[in-house]
Amino acid sequence: MDPSESESLPASSSPINSASASAVEDPLSSPYASLNSHCHDLSTLQDLACRGAWRTILDKVARSRSLSLLSRPHEHLIYLTFNVLALVKLRRFADAQQEFETLDDDLGSKQYQFESFPDQYPNNKSGSMVPFALRWLHAHLPFTLGDRQLSLDRLYVLLHFIRDTKLSRNRDSVTEISIDLWRKRETFVINSIVSHHLTLKEFKVCLYLLKSETSKLEDPFMVSKLGYVQMQYGDLEGAKRSFELVEKMVEKSEGGDANSNSNSNLKNLVGRNKALTYLVGKDYVSAVREYEACMERDASDFVAINNKALCLMYLRDLSDSIKVLESALERVPTVALNETLVVNLCSMYELAYVNHADIKKTLSTWIARVAPDDFDTSCTRI
Amino acid sequence: MSSGSSGGAGGQPATHSLAFRVMRLCRPTLHVDNSPLKFDPCDLLFGEDLFDDPIAASHLPRLLGGQSSAAAVDPADLSYRGRFLLQQPTDSLGLPGLLVLPQAFGAIYLGETFCSYISINNSSNFEVRDVVIKWFRSCIMVCEFWPVSSGYARVELNFEDIDLLNYAISRTKAAEIQTERQRLLLLDTSKSPVESIRAGGRYDFIVEHDVKELGAHTLVCTALYTDGDNERKYLPQFFKFMVSNPLSVRTKVRSVKDNAESAVVITEVMLMKSNLRPVSSVNMLFSLNKLSYFVMIKSIFSQDTTFLEACIENHTKSDLYMDQVEFEPAQYWSATVLRAEYHSSEPSSVLSETFKEPILIKSGGGIYNYLYQLKFSSPDKTQFKAESSKILGKLQITWRTNLGEPGRLQTQHILGNPVTRKDIELHAVDMPSVIMLEKSFLVGLNLINLTDRVLGPFQVWVSEGGSPDEKAVVVNGLQRMTLGEVQPHSSLKFQLNLIAVKHGIQKISGITVYDTVEKKTYEALFEMEIYVDLE
Repeated sequence: MDPSESESLPASSSPINSASASAVEDPLSSPYASLNSHCHDLSTLQDLACRGAWRTILDKVARSRSLSLLSRPHEHLIYLTFNVLALVKLRRFADAQQEFETLDDDLGSKQYQFESFPDQYPNNKSGSMVPFALRWLHAHLPFTLGDRQLSLDRLYVLLHFIRDTKLSRNRDSVTEISIDLWRKRETFVINSIVSHHLTLKEFKVCLYLLKSETSKLEDPFMVSKLGYVQMQYGDLEGAKRSFELVEKMVEKSEGGDANSNSNSNLKNLVGRNKALTYLVGKDYVSAVREYEACMERDASDFVAINNKALCLMYLRDLSDSIKVLESALERVPTVALNETLVVNLCSMYELAYVNHADIKKTLSTWIARVAPDDFDTSCTRI
Repeated sequence: MSSGSSGGAGGQPATHSLAFRVMRLCRPTLHVDNSPLKFDPCDLLFGEDLFDDPIAASHLPRLLGGQSSAAAVDPADLSYRGRFLLQQPTDSLGLPGLLVLPQAFGAIYLGETFCSYISINNSSNFEVRDVVIKWFRSCIMVCEFWPVSSGYARVELNFEDIDLLNYAISRTKAAEIQTERQRLLLLDTSKSPVESIRAGGRYDFIVEHDVKELGAHTLVCTALYTDGDNERKYLPQFFKFMVSNPLSVRTKVRSVKDNAESAVVITEVMLMKSNLRPVSSVNMLFSLNKLSYFVMIKSIFSQDTTFLEACIENHTKSDLYMDQVEFEPAQYWSATVLRAEYHSSEPSSVLSETFKEPILIKSGGGIYNYLYQLKFSSPDKTQFKAESSKILGKLQITWRTNLGEPGRLQTQHILGNPVTRKDIELHAVDMPSVIMLEKSFLVGLNLINLTDRVLGPFQVWVSEGGSPDEKAVVVNGLQRMTLGEVQPHSSLKFQLNLIAVKHGIQKISGITVYDTVEKKTYEALFEMEIYVDLE
């Protein structure tokens, strides 16, 4: 498939935006007509990723490279990003590092800017070609190779990069969509940082970072995370207050939002938080009740399913807890097949059966058939 | 992390139909994923600056149309898009709220609750009947006998107790006897034994035990049952673990009394001329017949203020959240906790209420200090002085770890500084209102005998002191004065004739009292500051 060449139509005034008067829009040859016109066979890559077929992605990238199917610089970068991501998903971290070695250390260098290739990108197209995920992967990789501190450093540098160069720009010079994207990326990086601090049990830093993120009280999910952190180190009273705040936020937003889908998401969030509060108070029966209400609203709420199973165990009902997890894997495998859920199920098997090796083998075989490439099979502890 | 059992330490070839599976059931943890690896499609499919261009930006919604991750997850959708695309921005935190069962036995600390899930499995092909389950904290053992058709007593023994072993060997063909010693029974179903466990079936129970002692613990779980061959069998399961101390508390007590090293503040104030006697507890006022009067505040604190500093050190492997740390004062004592004022530089908001700074003590050696101000108030003043060792009270500590797992401990009685029992005390009872330079003056003093015996006779003098300077206040006349005996709990008044050789604020010090009978010297009993006026 030959990517469409740059437009050679006469320069007439664009009905879209007078600021770029020299650019023209021809729906048939526009580079934004579809994913594939933007980049060779991109929709296939996307589809493979959604199906968890990371090994296939590696093959595809290798083939595209060897057959020189990628003609434009930005396509190489996108394919490289997918390649790195696939390697990281498959836990082949050293290979991912090797991919990075083919790149310049500085992802902001000229060779990754549109301006450096005026033949390929006419009409004064400018800016960085680097997909943002590649920057993040570059920061994340040292952690996978054992150097968490370097990853944290890189993430903080990335955060400053976003805040100082992208979010501080004059509003008039950039599109709303762009600003919006960079804000999302800022949140993305902060969340990664918090995740590391949380694993290191640096709770006060987590609180500080989360506090600044939730100060505008926009996202009830974020405030819930704050509650989870408080629960994790034992501040039950604090967690309760956070959850009450979440409930208030959801009540306020519920009035305006007609989208029933996000409504059930929010209702389930509130329900799961309530259940957690019951759980830490050892009222497992009420917790189960709340989780069941969540599952009624959304049969694929695997957090509710998993946690309900645990509550049943604490109620001395090992058999039913196993049934809940097994039935979820049967009914909604693509949602329920989650490493943590499998860890819990295997712990239950080890408790319930003297000869648990057999039943774990059965589970393992089933997983091998159904699971995506990136599923970490070590969770079955076989 | 479940573990099984295979019978007791009796050397008997035990083929049991039943087997124990055990798992420690402390609270679950919230799973944290450092690499959820979920992305916004815009961050992968397009260059990061692509949508700076308004034309590109206008196409974005359409380009992403088929990739929307916010769409409802259709059960028929067999894709794993949930592992790849962000459904919520917070997904990248990797804290979905998923609970995980405890994966390891972990450490057990004093003050915690030990909780365990126990499953008794019948792995045989036959039903098992009349299962009596006992679960106890054992120090020694239990020994049970029951008649067995072949005529010998079958015994399952624990370790350590030789006496009981001998006893067991000496008995044969006994009826069912139980000998138990020092066991803390935690669960006993002998009154209502489990009727049966079918082949391949299970009987579960959960046991909780508050850990109140340090050191090695053995928890024993026993099942007494009738198997498929109609044999009565006994299956014990032993659980050994160490209980260690989670915290150490170090306390420091400081009592601030009168005449102690405290701030001396001299201020010039306008006061009515008054002739106040020095009061032993709070302050002393001198008045002069001049316009300005000097107020000397000798001691800021009242007599009976004690400060207790408690330092809590965390010896566990996890951070401890201090849920409640309370000082319970003893009788007649009251306590106030002193906290530093926390002034946040950020403006207070709805959030600042929710997110108060938690008191978290870091694992493996972290510390945190608490400060209490204690006051003694009793209608009977002598109560305070009478106690040679003061019991101030106890510290009650409640901490929490993951998901609020609680632990509770109480310290021993915290003691105050022992009051040194004084034998004698010296007070000034009469001071002249004006003291002039190089003019002798009389100071009335009272010597109090605090003991139960007769003290004295005494000799009183003013010592030179170690200072190279000449003393400012010296005795006028005989340097040594003799006093008679003083009866128990009684006092003796006398006068010292003094003369001040320097002007300004000076000290009367160095008054030494010597007991001629007990040959004891009492120094530094009395000190006072005076103002020596010029002509």
